[in-house]
Amino acid sequence: MKSKKERGEIAVMKIDPDVCIACEVCLPYCPMGAISMDDVAVIDQDECVDCGVCLKSGVCPVDCIIYEPALWPRALRADFSNPATEHKTTGLPGRGTEEVKTNEVTGRLKPGWLAMGIEFGRPVTGARFRDVDKVSRALAKLGVKFEPKNPVTFLMEDPSTGKIQPDVLNEKVLSAIIECVFPREKAPEVLKTLQKVTREIDTVCSVEMADLVEPDERVPMDKILADLGIFYRINGKTNTGLGRPKFKGGN
Amino acid sequence: MTHTLHRSGTKESLSGDYILLYMPAFGINSADSGPKLRKFLEITLRHNPVNIGDTRRGNKYSLDVQNILDNVKKDGTVVHAVFDNEKAAAAALKELKEADLGLSLVVSGIFDRVKEHCQKAGIHRHAVTYSLGIWGKTEKLPPEQSLDIVTMCGHGMISASLVDSLAEEVKAGRKKVEDAVREMARLCDCGIFNPVRAAKLLTALAGTK
Repeated sequence: MKSKKERGEIAVMKIDPDVCIACEVCLPYCPMGAISMDDVAVIDQDECVDCGVCLKSGVCPVDCIIYEPALWPRALRADFSNPATEHKTTGLPGRGTEEVKTNEVTGRLKPGWLAMGIEFGRPVTGARFRDVDKVSRALAKLGVKFEPKNPVTFLMEDPSTGKIQPDVLNEKVLSAIIECVFPREKAPEVLKTLQKVTREIDTVCSVEMADLVEPDERVPMDKILADLGIFYRINGKTNTGLGRPKFKGGN
Repeated sequence: MTHTLHRSGTKESLSGDYILLYMPAFGINSADSGPKLRKFLEITLRHNPVNIGDTRRGNKYSLDVQNILDNVKKDGTVVHAVFDNEKAAAAALKELKEADLGLSLVVSGIFDRVKEHCQKAGIHRHAVTYSLGIWGKTEKLPPEQSLDIVTMCGHGMISASLVDSLAEEVKAGRKKVEDAVREMARLCDCGIFNPVRAAKLLTALAGTK
């Protein structure tokens, strides 16, 4: 018996053409705009990221949207796109890690270091791993340390080069996050490199940077960003440091 | 997991948008953390959040609140409460500090305001995470008015085309703005979508159609 792949049946999200009544209700729900109308609604399998919003929304009046687990590498689309899917590398639902949200307990970000997250495809556009690969390789050359538990790091052939394994490069996901840390003095080089390489990608990325707050309430990265003329939003995340046991060696 | 970061908008609009996130460090203090996570939700509910949610279960627009409380996972999850005003968020923060439950509490909102309320509550901030904005091929993005709504679901479950479609429905009088907002809010499983802020933004967007 032929496998699903041999039969060309590797898609996860499908619309049953024999059941669809062409009501068009599901069309606006797709975050990737991958559903369009022919005689009935159809999903563009190349653009679909298997996030499952069309199905989870429950808007189809005849339940013609179908979920089927896919084969590798297609399977990683759902892993990165559906936040209800738990990544085996992180043990967490979602696409990243705990990053600095629990840092007072984990001590992942140490004094004198900065943490960066580059989330490809967010907002709205989605991303293919070939764009992630361009940036991860550029950052690897600077000696940043990729977060070992991050799902993107898990897809690298070798974290010292940042090279993403070739069989996933064309896979599209709702978002994928590179997470890394580096010494504060490296920040200008990292940010300038990121500015340059993100001009060469075919998608967007939301960029974040985290720092520890000094005992006098100063945030050292303020000066770095001001010196480089790099914008940051007035709103963001504050870790209140209330978790315990406290990591020894933190601030 | 940067889902409460990167919310876009004007200072005036963001002044009504504060999210409290509570979670254990998995493998360190996650064992039997469920009761502490439930207690966080119970405390925040006393301060009238406009949304609450559990990443693994759903939000108050997809489940009833008691269902969320009763099913917090024994060994941890990530829970949230959203406030449409600074005063309520600050009061919840103060009570959580006094309760001293021992898990990690992250506040998303305008930094200056959060800093002030942390100081008033006797909290020395451990770390901050800044959003450096959107880089790359930004010409692919929808208009800012749509972005301000869709970025309130950090996992991207609310599409820009749904926002547009609902704005059209509101404009045409076929849907009430509160129903349109509920439709969006239920899709954001984590419960970090701010329906009060969204109603204001969607009303304004509908006015431009």
